Amino acid sequence: MSDTTVLAEERIAAPRGRASSRIRSWLSGYPTLLTYLISISVALGISALLVMMTGTSPWTAVVALYEGSLSTPASVGLALDKAAPLLIVAAGTVIAARAGLFNIGQEGQLTVGATVACAVAIFVPGPGPLVLVLSLLGGALAGAAWAGIAAVLFYKTGVPIVIGTLLLVFIAVQVLFFAVTQPWLLQEAGPEGDVMPPQSELLRTEVWLPHIGEYPGLNFTSGVLIALALAVIVAVLLRHSVWGFKMTMLGMNKLAARRAGINAAVLGGTALLWSGAFAGLGGAVMLVGGNHRLQPGISENSGWDGLLVALVAKENPVFAIPVALFFGVLRAGGGFLASTGVPRYLVDVVTAVLVLAVAFPPAFRILRRTWQARAAARALAQSGKGAAA
Amino acid sequence: MIEALTLVLASSVRLALPLAFAACGEYIAERSGTINISIEAMMLGGAFSAVFGASITGSAATGLICGVLAGLLVGFVHANFSHRLTVNTYVVGLTLNLLVLGLTSFLLDLVVLRPSQVAVFAVPLLSDLPVIGPALFAQRWPAYLLWPLLPAIWYAMYRTRWGLQMRASGENPSAVDASGIDVNRRRREGLLLCGLLSGLGGAYLAVGEVGMFNQNMTSGRGYVVIAAVIFGAWTLRGAMAGCLVFGAADAMRLALPALGVQLNPQLLVASPYILALLAMVLFARSNRSPSALGKPFARGLP
Amino acid sequence: MRPELLGASPVHGEAAPAVELQGITKRYGTTIACDDVHLSVASGEIHGLLGQNGAGKSTLVKILLGLVSRDAGQILLHGRPTEIPDPFAAAELGLAMVHQHFSLVNELTVWENVTLGDTGRPDADATCELVRSIGERYGLVVDPLARVEDLSTGQRQRVEIIKCLRRDPGILILDEPTSVLTLSDSRELFSVLRRVAQDEQRTVILISHKLDEILNATDRVTIMRSGRVVAQRRTSEVDERELAREMVGRELSKWVAASALGNLDALVDPALSKDPAMFTAVRPVEDRPAVRMRIDSAVASRDGRPLLQGLTLELRAGEILGLAGIEGNGQHAIGDLLSSLLPLDSGEVRVDGVPVPAGRPGAMHHAGIGVIPEDRHQSGCVLDMSVAENLVLSAVPSVSRRGFVSRRRMRERAEELIERFEIATPSPDTPMRDLSGGNQQKVVLARELSQQPKILVAAYPTRGLDVGAIEYMTEQLHEASRAGIGVLLISTELEEILTLSHRIAVIHRGAVVGEMPRMDVDIERLGMLMGGQQA
Repeated sequence: MSDTTVLAEERIAAPRGRASSRIRSWLSGYPTLLTYLISISVALGISALLVMMTGTSPWTAVVALYEGSLSTPASVGLALDKAAPLLIVAAGTVIAARAGLFNIGQEGQLTVGATVACAVAIFVPGPGPLVLVLSLLGGALAGAAWAGIAAVLFYKTGVPIVIGTLLLVFIAVQVLFFAVTQPWLLQEAGPEGDVMPPQSELLRTEVWLPHIGEYPGLNFTSGVLIALALAVIVAVLLRHSVWGFKMTMLGMNKLAARRAGINAAVLGGTALLWSGAFAGLGGAVMLVGGNHRLQPGISENSGWDGLLVALVAKENPVFAIPVALFFGVLRAGGGFLASTGVPRYLVDVVTAVLVLAVAFPPAFRILRRTWQARAAARALAQSGKGAAA
Repeated sequence: MIEALTLVLASSVRLALPLAFAACGEYIAERSGTINISIEAMMLGGAFSAVFGASITGSAATGLICGVLAGLLVGFVHANFSHRLTVNTYVVGLTLNLLVLGLTSFLLDLVVLRPSQVAVFAVPLLSDLPVIGPALFAQRWPAYLLWPLLPAIWYAMYRTRWGLQMRASGENPSAVDASGIDVNRRRREGLLLCGLLSGLGGAYLAVGEVGMFNQNMTSGRGYVVIAAVIFGAWTLRGAMAGCLVFGAADAMRLALPALGVQLNPQLLVASPYILALLAMVLFARSNRSPSALGKPFARGLP
Repeated sequence: MRPELLGASPVHGEAAPAVELQGITKRYGTTIACDDVHLSVASGEIHGLLGQNGAGKSTLVKILLGLVSRDAGQILLHGRPTEIPDPFAAAELGLAMVHQHFSLVNELTVWENVTLGDTGRPDADATCELVRSIGERYGLVVDPLARVEDLSTGQRQRVEIIKCLRRDPGILILDEPTSVLTLSDSRELFSVLRRVAQDEQRTVILISHKLDEILNATDRVTIMRSGRVVAQRRTSEVDERELAREMVGRELSKWVAASALGNLDALVDPALSKDPAMFTAVRPVEDRPAVRMRIDSAVASRDGRPLLQGLTLELRAGEILGLAGIEGNGQHAIGDLLSSLLPLDSGEVRVDGVPVPAGRPGAMHHAGIGVIPEDRHQSGCVLDMSVAENLVLSAVPSVSRRGFVSRRRMRERAEELIERFEIATPSPDTPMRDLSGGNQQKVVLARELSQQPKILVAAYPTRGLDVGAIEYMTEQLHEASRAGIGVLLISTELEEILTLSHRIAVIHRGAVVGEMPRMDVDIERLGMLMGGQQA
């Protein structure tokens, strides 16, 4: 995406007026900021309108969102917990994106990750901390393997990454569903003859991710620290390591990278595996950090949202931190919304509308330049005709 | 046995119909170069609006039209974001999917929907045919729209100038641009048509098949449609076959337990995606997908 | 169809020129592409527009076709001031351009491509008939039902020309039309153009940077340099030397003019061997030095199409071996093979006697083979990375420690190379995209040479460069060979081969079919070998 943007901006030479050119170039910086303001206002306006439809004042909803996410140390902790898996997924997405691969199957990789993490946590005997680590690793490996299928399909037979990763999402969801409906696999055991719900049993507390802080003070799972650490590590490696350099080269020009001796299948495949591993780890963190029980829908769309975090953050792992936090705040606040009579789904709508609102201004800037160039051409044509007549 | 076959066939067709309408749309969009992911949003939006419209007006037919308009609206947003502005089409598509899922769930909690369903129209004589009669000639009336739709789309894509330009836009947009044709406009039209037809598909699912809307009603059917178009190797015929196969998989999931056959239901649900991936593996080398599929067009880009 | 043409009003008893440009000016930011350009082209003539790359020819034509808006000036068609706001208007006015790239849809048939830009219902039968009749009239035979992807380059160009001619254009514009054609295809093209201009009184504008082409095919020529028109001449009244001087803006030795500007006859003139420049350039390498690289019976294919069919080649230290041949006979495959992008079905590549696994990423590079690829800005560099980064693309380990890139060392290395290879860049951190084509080429060359290769593969190293840059490249390649590097020069332009090589090998259908020392070159024999005839 960024590639296209840069090129398109490159090619469209801005028309230049004579006397007013300085003023115009001075102005041209601002409208972008202005468009951001306008488009975000529109997004918030739409959200407010939806709230008003429920008979609640938008302010009440804002207060509820605030109370659910930021008002008390405990709710801040909740927002952090919600943000952590999104950030992990986003950090992984950035790796693949840097290598020029558009992985959109994080939801599936996350789902498989959570499933395998659950299996490890239940079936592997041993001391709690060890099993916990194994469970997280298992989740990451499973996510990587799931992305690996798409990588193999792409590099061996040419199935586009987008299609491969996308289709695998829905297969992953069925894998989870299968696991929690088979008593011999992960389904919760119950009294003989009872029909049990499709979910695993509760994990033993020793394999839960340790909590930092005590309720009602600020408390959150150590998943938050994992997420932050990973985002920073990815940022540093991509920017300064030889690996990051090669990855960037591959992403920007595959042909040149191959000529420079890079094995596109290996390096690109690795990027995709890492991306999947991060998503899988995100799923594992959600399981051992929050749910403690595998259920269909455990992901709560975190895979999709994590992908959006990466995209809103312009594929920059450091920017992804505040963006993930913002998403986390919305998610945490959503729980509080219901008490005001506003369905919690409002949060999904607001998130999506905001993503579009943030995507709009830079794209609009390019479009406006095209319009201006066209208008200038038309003006010239007009004046030419005038002169001719 | 004949009876069971008749039953399974009828329900396969019934389940395939919403997919088929949407697949027509996805086919057009993909031939012009867009892998349209927001088709899920189009169908879901169509389904909700159809029931909503029917509840308000009391007419299921009006509901159908509301569904079509909702799909069109999603298509309009997607088209303008990705092919007028240059926002990545997958970003727009995914966001729209989340948006419509959230929005329909949100509204579902607010409004009261009444069950509403269009009437069955059994074609005289033909519907009495054994085995295929009930499947093909005893459907709810909008289903028969598919019969004129298929040749119309084929004609539009292969016999009109517009279709030639659409297909060329999916293969080599730069060349089309050099011929003085607005590639992104064609692609926007593809998305609008996809929205229209997918909206119809979703609406048919709601007021045709089920008669009601429930949360996340399409539950991934849009992605099944994408799978069907891929499975059909980007031909209209193949896409329809894909829909029928996937409809049959769905029908079997429902029918097999009753018939006493054990087949894993999750495998059946996942089968469209697995089959689509297998089809891709088989076709990918033979290069049957439109060459510029999924590649944005901006003048000056190679 | 052509009211403008038929209704052209005579001015002062003489027909007004078909196209007249007055004072056309176009700026892109601070650079000026066209500066007060005046051009006048009569009906029924073939008019050459000659200039180096970047002289402003393309911009001028884009303005004429409504693809680019001008900043100032006036366009007159048949004496009438005319506005051309978009390509549609240009087509309406009878202006048509034969595009070289991106304008045929490979997956569609010939007739579908021909009718693509039309309006109204497409009519297969009528269009096929049209393709056939135009084909007969001009000798452009092509099957209207064939899919474009199955056609050869020459046939594709025929389709392009048919696409233009069927609109019955008054003015036909061709941009570097022979760069992709074989010699015989080029001749055929010129005879078609002759017919179009003389027999039907159409106007043909031929854009080129090759003197040969201009001299052979045009009636009059306008020469552009740095955005200005510097001369307009009757072709019969000029010689290549004068054209070269006007085009480059300084006196060139006959040798340089001939080689850099594409004059084949001059290059094989026996008198030239007395030219000292020529002597140092093409003298044979003495006392047969060691074989640096040997490709032995290489066979390779891609998607079932054979690319190399038993190609055998020896490259010695300190020599420049020119691999001549017509486009599409395996040149790409050789380049790809030596860039580790193509595995071999059989045969082998040895460098200094050691076999190198073909197709394994980086293997050729590690064996000491440096490559300057033909499409350098596509595959030779990364336009969105900085100059400094581009200078170390394949040598990152040399500026890094423990897996981390040292910015300081990278910058030092970049500064050194920028100075040594005289790369004109504001700073090492400038994006590659902002450099001129010649400087981008220098970056690629600097990177490859700085890694002390044993072998340097240069594919079309001077394509698209201006004379100054061509001279520079020539000098650099000679220096490399003097330093003992074996240079393999791949090119379809004989001028390039003849200027640079010590030895010439001819590639045809994926195999080397003959070779000769540069001193004993025989153009007739070379041409026959390239065409696949035994000689």
